Amino acid sequence: MKFLIMISLRNLLRQKRRNILLGSAMAFGVLILVLATSFSHGISDIMFNKIVAYVAGHVNVSIREGKGQMISIFRDRDRLVKIVKEKTGDKLKDYDEGIGIFLRAIGNGKAENMVLVGVNMNKTYSDEQRKEYEESFHMIEGMFRDLLSTDVENPVILSKEKAALLNVKKSDTIRVRFNNIYGQTQSARLTVTGIMSNDNIFMQGVMFVEIKNIKEMMGYRPYESTAIHITLKNPQADAVQIADSIHEALKPGPAFIAADLSANGIRAKATIIPYMGNDDAMKKIISSSFTLISGKMDDVLMKSGVMVSDRIAAKLGLTPGSKMEFRYKPKFEAKIIPHSVEIKGVFRSDMTTGSDTVYMHEALFYPKFYDRVPDLTADVKDAFLPSPEAPFYKALGTEWVLLDRTRDSDEMRKKYRSISKRKIKAAAVDVNSMYESASDVLKLEGALNIITFGAVLVLFFIIVVGVINTLRMTIRERTREIGTIRAIGMQKKDVRTIFILESVFLTLFASAAGTILSFITMWLMSLKTFNVIDNPMGILLVKQHLYFLPTIGGVVKNILLILAISVVTAYFPAKRAAGMRAADALRHYE
Amino acid sequence: MIKKFITSLPIHLTVIRILAAVTAAMAISGEAAAQPGVQDLMKKIEELQDMTTDIRARVDLTQTKVGQGTKKTNMLYYRRDSDDSFLIVMIAPESENGNGYLRVGDNFWMYRRNTRTFQHINRDESIGGSDAKADDFEKRKITELYDPARDASGKDILSPENLGAIPVYRFEVLAKVNDVDYPKKIYWVRQDNGLPLKEQSFSLKGTLMQTAYYMNYTIVNKKYVPVKQLFIDEFEKGNKTLVEISGISTETLGSIFNKAYLENLSK
Repeated sequence: MKFLIMISLRNLLRQKRRNILLGSAMAFGVLILVLATSFSHGISDIMFNKIVAYVAGHVNVSIREGKGQMISIFRDRDRLVKIVKEKTGDKLKDYDEGIGIFLRAIGNGKAENMVLVGVNMNKTYSDEQRKEYEESFHMIEGMFRDLLSTDVENPVILSKEKAALLNVKKSDTIRVRFNNIYGQTQSARLTVTGIMSNDNIFMQGVMFVEIKNIKEMMGYRPYESTAIHITLKNPQADAVQIADSIHEALKPGPAFIAADLSANGIRAKATIIPYMGNDDAMKKIISSSFTLISGKMDDVLMKSGVMVSDRIAAKLGLTPGSKMEFRYKPKFEAKIIPHSVEIKGVFRSDMTTGSDTVYMHEALFYPKFYDRVPDLTADVKDAFLPSPEAPFYKALGTEWVLLDRTRDSDEMRKKYRSISKRKIKAAAVDVNSMYESASDVLKLEGALNIITFGAVLVLFFIIVVGVINTLRMTIRERTREIGTIRAIGMQKKDVRTIFILESVFLTLFASAAGTILSFITMWLMSLKTFNVIDNPMGILLVKQHLYFLPTIGGVVKNILLILAISVVTAYFPAKRAAGMRAADALRHYE
Repeated sequence: MIKKFITSLPIHLTVIRILAAVTAAMAISGEAAAQPGVQDLMKKIEELQDMTTDIRARVDLTQTKVGQGTKKTNMLYYRRDSDDSFLIVMIAPESENGNGYLRVGDNFWMYRRNTRTFQHINRDESIGGSDAKADDFEKRKITELYDPARDASGKDILSPENLGAIPVYRFEVLAKVNDVDYPKKIYWVRQDNGLPLKEQSFSLKGTLMQTAYYMNYTIVNKKYVPVKQLFIDEFEKGNKTLVEISGISTETLGSIFNKAYLENLSK
């Protein structure tokens, strides 16, 4: 073999000019290929780990409640975070509450529409994350940790462009107007503690405040959470699977309130259970499953509908039209608030309905339930919960409604359209991976991959044509030489191997040269500064420079691919050369 | 993109919010009598607001914004409280001409003339992604939304004053539910007939956000309709909107609250 390798190398040197030209073409192709794949990887990295991660996370859990599901709020933050941590395990890079508000900001005589985003500065960031943030947000004045300052009112950091628009400098005050989570008009004063420059156009209109401050401004209580954005270590591999497993873990249990009832000076314990009443099918289930002793089913099915069991009615002296108070111990709040409701009906109780029960229309139930969530885990021992076999079980409310998983943004849009028509009164919980919530960004990444693949195809064509042509010429020129070495005893397979090895060495040297050149080119291109303020193309830059992300695996893969093409392409001409009879080859004359 | 989106909002937002306010104030009876007691005054206003007839009117808005000059917006407004329906058709500016909004019961649509499409909006959702919500138009009782504000001694904050030369009662109310625009309001109502003359709205933090002046009323079917109102933006000084209502009719509107009628009207 060593002998064959030496002959191959010697043959390469025999046709220096031709091989240098072909090798140069191949090296140029490799240069383009490595350059394109590194740029594409760089953009993918920016998209997955910067844009998608910042905008929606690789996986996000969103929760909407209230009229029209307008309020993004999960009432038990710790429960949600526990599920996220359990289901992501060591695949979790980071998680954050995604909270941002559109607002009107007034600086020194100037007003502007802005977005205020909460960042958690009390969290410990890894060196990698810190580097990533420093690359994305370059502080011109102040530091990000100034957001934790308690010396000034609501410290805020904004971009230099927006600071100029609002005519504010460090230590100036910005007044803002916005709506809190309930839609109430809210105002606040923000103190500028930092000014940054930012390459990412999406972030240039954003002001940052500490998440605790923005949650307080928005009306969140300490134990409540907004949507959770999850960043994964390997989003492309794990996002869908993680989203599926979190979705599975978020399956809701039954909603109920283990309440103390009071009416006419008498008290009783009962379980209050919500029923769905905005859907005709559900209304039918309720009306066919409950027998009213007094009151009208039409009244019960209205949004203010409440029906009590005959036993509770008898105990408290309740009839349709009478008022009843109920109260319960919330999970997080110390204060117990009484709620007053008007009874619309009394039903005949049995084993399925329970005898110490009150059934309440979801529109009446959920606002009270969510405002002060009960401790369902602790209360379940005192509660009556209808069996899943009960004929009306399907019409009963759950802690929240878990929306189906979708696979792409089109399915997701359809899901949301159908939700708005369903008029759900319970909170709607949704789990999305980046493949649904950021599909447009991912489409851009896909387009870049197609462009890279196109470049690869062109390169392959160059290699194939070059190798075939060179080998054909070589074989033709060396036909009598082939005849000679065959006549003195060289085997067919050795002849074939010599030609294939020639191609392999040529490709290998050209690939090595092309790879070295590509790294030099990337370094040179990375030196150029692009000033792309207010230009969407700025998202493709890091620190105003082109961003290449070559990987060893990617480069090796490319070289192996080219080698394989080269071998396959060389094989057939080499086989033809090896297959010539020695006598015929020796007679060859041009 | 975000900036462009937000800056396109104020027309709709302002128009719709003002219309909601106009609607709420559109039917105040001249028979109102002065009542010392905030709850009583609120109840009185509430009773007088119960409009039983249909309404059709032309609404002209003159919006003045700092740095943007003055912009006029005109629209036709149809409302029927008996089945919670209303219909708005924009007349001006030209860019908005023919666009409209339709609500029937729980359904709320936005119509765009250019594309001839109706976009179904949940009645509780924001309009076009803005903070203007369809439920701003819900007929909601003031006593269900607000309680009288009380001082340290537990008394209603209510005092007789003069607004210019007119004797008024000044009283404060605080929201008792979450889903109201302004958590705190101060009203100045005439002592002689209970007509609101001035209203101040405050943010949750207590900052004065807006002052409304009800400058002129007219009587339609024994109801007072404020035909000239001025809304002053106290947060962004210099912004103000003048609302003028004309051509008020209380004739029965018939079956006009449907998509076909809005589409036809928009042509």
